[in-house]
Amino acid sequence: MGLVKAQSLTKVFRRPQKGPGLRGSVKHLFQRRFKDVPAVNGIDVSIEAGEAVAYVGPNGAGKSTTIKLLCGILVPTSGSVEVAGVTPHVDRIANARNIGVLFGQRSQLWWDLPVRESLGLLRDMYDLPKGFYQQRIERLDEVLGIGELMPVLARKLSLGQRMRADLAAALLHQPRIVYLDEPTIGLDIAVKDKVRKFLRELRADGTTLMLTTHDLGDIEDVCERIIIIDEGRKIFDGPLAQMKDSFARTRRMHLHITDGTPMDVIAKHLSTADVSGEGSEVTIAFDRFAHTAGQIIAAVLQVAEVGEFHLDEPAIEDVVRKVYAGELLV
Amino acid sequence: MFRTMRIYRRSLGAHFRSLLEYEADFWVLIVAGAMFNALNLLFLSAVFAHVPALNGWSYAEAVLLMGVWSVIGGLSPLFFEGVWRLSWMVNQGTLDYPLVRPAPVTVQVFSSGIGLHGVGDIVTGGAMLGWALFHVDVDWTPLTVVIGLVLLASAATIHLSIIAITNAATFWISGPHPFLAIAVHTFEDMIKYPLTIYGAGIRAVYTFVVPFAFVTFFPVSWLLDRSAGWVGLLGPLVAAYCVWLARTVFRRGLRRYDSSGH
Amino acid sequence: MKPYLSMFLMSARRTFAYRLSALIGWLGGGAILISSLSVWHALLGEGAIAGYDWPMMKAYLVVAWAAGSIGASQGDWRMADRIREGHVATDLTKPVDYQGSRFAEHAGGLATEIPAILIAASAVIAFTGSIPGPANVFLFLLSFACVVPLKFCFTYLTAMLCFWTHNFMGISWAKDAIIWLFSGGLIPLSMLPVWLSVPASLLPFAGITATPAALYLGQATGAEAARLLGLQVFWVLALWFGARLLWRGALRALTVHGG
Repeated sequence: MGLVKAQSLTKVFRRPQKGPGLRGSVKHLFQRRFKDVPAVNGIDVSIEAGEAVAYVGPNGAGKSTTIKLLCGILVPTSGSVEVAGVTPHVDRIANARNIGVLFGQRSQLWWDLPVRESLGLLRDMYDLPKGFYQQRIERLDEVLGIGELMPVLARKLSLGQRMRADLAAALLHQPRIVYLDEPTIGLDIAVKDKVRKFLRELRADGTTLMLTTHDLGDIEDVCERIIIIDEGRKIFDGPLAQMKDSFARTRRMHLHITDGTPMDVIAKHLSTADVSGEGSEVTIAFDRFAHTAGQIIAAVLQVAEVGEFHLDEPAIEDVVRKVYAGELLV
Repeated sequence: MFRTMRIYRRSLGAHFRSLLEYEADFWVLIVAGAMFNALNLLFLSAVFAHVPALNGWSYAEAVLLMGVWSVIGGLSPLFFEGVWRLSWMVNQGTLDYPLVRPAPVTVQVFSSGIGLHGVGDIVTGGAMLGWALFHVDVDWTPLTVVIGLVLLASAATIHLSIIAITNAATFWISGPHPFLAIAVHTFEDMIKYPLTIYGAGIRAVYTFVVPFAFVTFFPVSWLLDRSAGWVGLLGPLVAAYCVWLARTVFRRGLRRYDSSGH
Repeated sequence: MKPYLSMFLMSARRTFAYRLSALIGWLGGGAILISSLSVWHALLGEGAIAGYDWPMMKAYLVVAWAAGSIGASQGDWRMADRIREGHVATDLTKPVDYQGSRFAEHAGGLATEIPAILIAASAVIAFTGSIPGPANVFLFLLSFACVVPLKFCFTYLTAMLCFWTHNFMGISWAKDAIIWLFSGGLIPLSMLPVWLSVPASLLPFAGITATPAALYLGQATGAEAARLLGLQVFWVLALWFGARLLWRGALRALTVHGG
């Protein structure tokens, strides 16, 4: 039984087809032509309580649309959604109590109000008891440092401050399910780290987390499961480790050769690995299920002297990039 | 219900406090709002210096009508200003957040702003209304007072519903500005004068299509016991119809919302 | 002249680009014209007031409405926003006169305003019967042409107040209300109480409605017409150069605030 369930979820947008300019607009008034654009096309998702799921895909793949369907913002064209036993677009308010949402590109803070007022308004909307509210504010101040932001007008916040305040706003009522759409977009490294650390803590508290992002660092830091979608369809769904195993078998070892042994000697010796490089800098790519790094280094040491070396772990970034580029058929 | 009211009050209050930050602006807006009403009154006074009646309406009666219009017109910026931001929210996709919060979307939208010029309207309009009530010829009974208040509330409801409906048109007519609502609102200003000065076409439209006549003309006619004044008693029915229509339009509209900012 | 001409054309094109908003603006203007015609029609049913009978009042209202509509482009908000958001600094780096440029843009609205005025006047004639023609076409057009720079100066001066205040809406409304009253747009100045009508006739606002209307209706002829026109031209020049002085002061405020 999933906490968040979607079955053959489909959302089709109707876009008017207009010619250019005024003529096109006038013509459209009389000949109404529309094109159906499926943004989400028959997606099945089931997320258990306490899972942290990364939801990734190229721009326009339907990530945000899925999130909005799960939140109850959009009404699905067909298929069904159920979140904690509630159909979001039917029982919007009941669903709203269970979830916390952050759209990284947009703030939910009231633009012309101080942060404190925004949080106070949310407190009223979620009906939070005074003691609980204060306790949450203290907790959110500990992890996000929002205390210093409380008297500041939302429009005067820097991007990083705004994101911290927005996270606090989304999580104020301690929702069981949290959707985050690009939670680290545009942030500098220091703030990103802070946000990720916070998300890990959130996960540790047992919150169910769904995260869309372009920043694969977010995924590796926070999630254990990944769903990849493209053109509105799901193309991968499984543990992050499994995805790495299936699609990121290759590790790379970079070596500095100190005794001038030519590259082709090493290549000949390591027939099952791919050796490339220039001069004394050599890169060896190998299947991490066929060999361990120790085996490779031992083999190289038989024919050459090695000064420095380091190892690249398989990055999901490579995998996802390949998927985006259509190089990888999953 | 109480919770909804509290959210609404709290949201308006927060926006009000933020406006108080700029004290000078606060007064400029209130005074500017009051000025137009003062000028409308000046117009009536200047004209009535030369004529005894406007289409059978005495000076006090005409002032009463205008006062009702100013008070009701001032309610929308004070309590409903946020609805004018709806088309911007829909166009930019910022209606997403109100949709994921456990409170009615309409309440969140309506209370998302406050227009202080409404204070100027209500103060000047209230003064006109108060003065005129002492100078018109009405047989006051407790029943007159009660019905009068009910009709005033109905008039305000009709006015606000029409603003809500025309702004909700943005779910169908895309674009960041509520042009339809602005246009309709400008035409509503014509009801500051007795409806009888206009041609039959305008009278029919303002009665049956967009029932602005029930905001000022019919309820005031009822109070002054003019011919066809009984129509004013239909105010609550018209108000109920307008509220129902506004609700329906909003519900249908929200289902169409496609969060297009992204 | 060339940069100003091109700014004028650009601004004229822009009003077509925002044609829906322009159209709605004109519809709103139509509502104002209808309600003022209707209320005066009802008032003048019995006879003349203060020397105005119905045909004459119709002419007055159409002239007043035309004067209110011409040179009313939304340029004021653009100007105010550029000042509030600090883009003025960019404008100042361009090798053109700032005030002249804004005037050229402001005048771009004429491209839609003149046709709209002609349409409205035709509609009034079609629905309510003929209106008397201008007593002196030449003097009237001269005076009416002065309305454009005159209104520009008020708009420009008001927008400039944004160097000192945040809220443009309030002061813009206050400006509109003052012009409405003192120009004769609300009611012919002669119908106002004396303590208002006398100062109103000397203030620059009268040039926006009262002066062109008086010349149209032939209420002022000969020396009196020349005096009115002279006063109107005097105010155009005084405000134009006064605005330049204020602009210099405003720039000092700009540097004090650091941008």
